[in-house]
Order: sequence, then structure tokens, then C-alpha cells
Amino acid sequence: MVERYIETFNRFRSPLVQSLWETFDMMLASMAAALVIGLVLGFIMFMTGAGGIYKNRAVYFMTSGFVNITRSIPFILFIIVMIPVNRMILGTGFGVDASKIPLSLIGVSLFARFTEQDLLDVNKNIFETSYAMGASTLQYFTHFLLREARSSLVLSFTSTTVSLLSYSTVMGIIGGGGLGYLAISEGYYNFNYELMWIIIILMVLIVHGIQTAGNNIAKKLDKR
Amino acid sequence: MIRLEKVSKDFFIGGEKTRVIDGINLHVDKKEIFGLVGETGSGKSTILRMMNGFIEPDEGSIYLMGKLLNSDTRHELVKETSMIFQGFNLLGNLNVIENILLPTRLRKGNQRENIGKARELLSFVGLSEFEEAYIRTLSGGQKQRVAIARTLITNPRIIFCDEPTSALDEKMSYEILRLLKDINERFETTIVMVSHDIGVIKSVCSRVAVMEDGRISELISLTPKGIEPVSYKEAFLSG
Repeated sequence: MVERYIETFNRFRSPLVQSLWETFDMMLASMAAALVIGLVLGFIMFMTGAGGIYKNRAVYFMTSGFVNITRSIPFILFIIVMIPVNRMILGTGFGVDASKIPLSLIGVSLFARFTEQDLLDVNKNIFETSYAMGASTLQYFTHFLLREARSSLVLSFTSTTVSLLSYSTVMGIIGGGGLGYLAISEGYYNFNYELMWIIIILMVLIVHGIQTAGNNIAKKLDKR
Repeated sequence: MIRLEKVSKDFFIGGEKTRVIDGINLHVDKKEIFGLVGETGSGKSTILRMMNGFIEPDEGSIYLMGKLLNSDTRHELVKETSMIFQGFNLLGNLNVIENILLPTRLRKGNQRENIGKARELLSFVGLSEFEEAYIRTLSGGQKQRVAIARTLITNPRIIFCDEPTSALDEKMSYEILRLLKDINERFETTIVMVSHDIGVIKSVCSRVAVMEDGRISELISLTPKGIEPVSYKEAFLSG
């Protein structure tokens, strides 16, 4: 039985490497978008939400609405709904690059909501403390909020990354490829269950690696 | 040093507009240790936060060091002051010296000089050997001493204290009060202290305002009775 798995692995080595690269390619782009745009959106929701220092119902309603809508549409339908947007931006609705758009949007939404929650968990008195020390609003974010929330943010980003890996497995529907697509098209549909299981084990190892790295970084940063 | 003229403030409590500060007139002299006492909800902490500009009055004017406190001046004026909080409000992800240096990181200045000054202050508050320690490892009294050192790093002309000893035991409270008295004498810093503890106020303050329902009901001059560290044993056996 083990021989069969080794033989399948050797036979599919090249498509496996290709799919792994496609997954990483999609992941890296969406992780970068999630980190930068998601963090900014999370800060905006934190600032404009109830109890925020720039409380603004209209802005909160729009940002929070975007985050909720993006997360609530079943992802496979979201990919289809986004095809015209992909076409508008990239000139094509299909392929690895087109897959990065819906994946980035879901990553941004997930991390934005996580960021808002992490910032809400920081001691409420910290704003007054920063004011009493003469900090500007920007210094309040960089020297106080980010510092106190950093380990929670790392864990949140780790969870976002793991979710993105899971979401990336269905990108095959618009030709995004990746490990998930290989497992379904070559593994499940072709009754090649050995290949399917090899990919499942590979995905489990990747998730385990991401989670372990995230936990270790968060632990190192958390001095509270 | 601090002057309040007909200062009032309303808050919405349970959806109803409630006057929490009602036409207060008050002045605090330079180098004075001034006390604000009153029951919970009497408005003493609100007054303190209005004095440093964190809460804006609805009516009246506040002057700090001769300058009118408003939205244009408050960020500059607050840099001349400092605040000590009941819950210490230290940053848990920073170690002791990083916490003390934090206010200097928000201002321009020579960081090497600041580090030297932070070490001097650590020695002043008796925590030299805790320079690299993280906040979670310190006792309540040590945390408040770090907060006091952080307060002093910017040479404030006024220190606002919001119940600085209420989270501490008796002996530690007196250590902190002695430190504040030292600061007042050595650096000629004006101190405004909010406390519900009459003993704390009597031990260090030269004047005290008694607050009731958002008003000053009495303004009393005191002769500070001095600070005596008392252990539990001494307290119960001294009669």
C-alpha cells in the first residue's frame, strides 16, 4: 500500500510542485492584501464604531457592511460573482491572477474583522494614557494600540492565512489551479484516491507549519 | 497654575442629560499639593480629566499655566503635565525602562540622554535592578513606582493623580505618597490628587476641595500631618 502512495507521488511530482507553486502564488498575493488593507480597514472600524474615538455611523456601516457581505456570500458563488470584476481589472475572468482578486477580498474581510476585535480587546484606558503623555492620534496607533495588540494580531493573521489556504482549494472553478484543484480533478474525479490523500496530508502539514510558526511568533511577542 | 472659571459639564446617563459638574470655580497654586475628595459619582475624576483637557467643559473656562485650555492648545499644554492612574496603565509588552521612556519617544530629543535620565529616575523610585523586567512580574507598588518614574521623565510642571494609592495596600500607599511628596519638594511640581481616602489627602495635601453632586461643598486648608509608614501590626497594636 505504501508503495502505491510512493509510486503515485513520484508520478505526480511535477504537477504537485506546479500546484504547490500556484497555491503559494495565490496565497502570497491575498495575504499581502489582507495584511495591509485588512489592517487599515480594521483600524477604521475600531475608530468609527461604538465607543471609537472618531465615532461615525456612516463610515462604520459601509466598512462593516463590506466585511459582512464578503464573508456571508458562499465562497464558490462569490468567485463566480467576481468574474466580471476580474475581467474589468485584469482583462480576463479566469486564471491564477484572476483568482487572487476574490481570495484577496475574503482575506481582507476576515483580517479586518479580526483586527477590529483584537483592538477592542486592548485595555480601554490606553487612549487616555496616550493622551496624557501628549501622543498624537497616529502615535496612539503605532506606540500604544499596535504594541499592545501585536500578539493577538499575529494569531489573527495566522488564522486568516489558514482560512485563505482552505479557500484557495476551490479556485479551480475559474482556472486558479492549486493543490485543491489537483486533488479534485486528478484525484477524486479520476478515482486516484492515493493522490487525493497525498494532497490532504500535504495540506495538513502546511496548516500545521503555519499555525506553529504563528503561535511561536505570538508567544515571543507577548510579554503581558 | 490651574484656574477653573464657572466650569460645567453634562453627561447623558441612561439617555438622560445629567449635570455632573455644576459651575465650579477653583484655583490651584504653583508647587501646591491639592486634594479633591468626594463620594463615587461626585465628579472629582471628571474635574481632573477636564483639568488636563481630556474632557472638554460644556460651559466655563480652564486655564493651565496662564493659558486657556481649548481644542487648539490642549495637545501642547498636556505635554507640560503628566498623569498617574489608579490602574497604573503601563504597557504590558514593554519592559520597565521602555515604559519609562515611552513619553520621550513621542517627543523629539536625545535618546541617549533620555536613557540616562530614565536610569536616574529608576534609582529615584528604588527600582534600578528591575530595568529589564516586564510589568507582569512586578507587584502593585512597584508598578505604581514605574508609573511615577514615567510621569517624571518629561519634567512635568503639573502631575494629576487619580486615586494613586487605591489599588495598593497601606504600607505601599504610604511609600507612594512619600515619593509624591519628595517630587513636590524636589522638583517643585504642582500636584492635584483625587482620592476617596481621607487619610491619603490629609497626609500630603495643603488644601482640599470636598465635592458633592458636581459642586465644591467645602474648600479646606490643611496642615499635612506627614507620612508615617504603618505595618498591620503597628496599626492594630498602637491603640
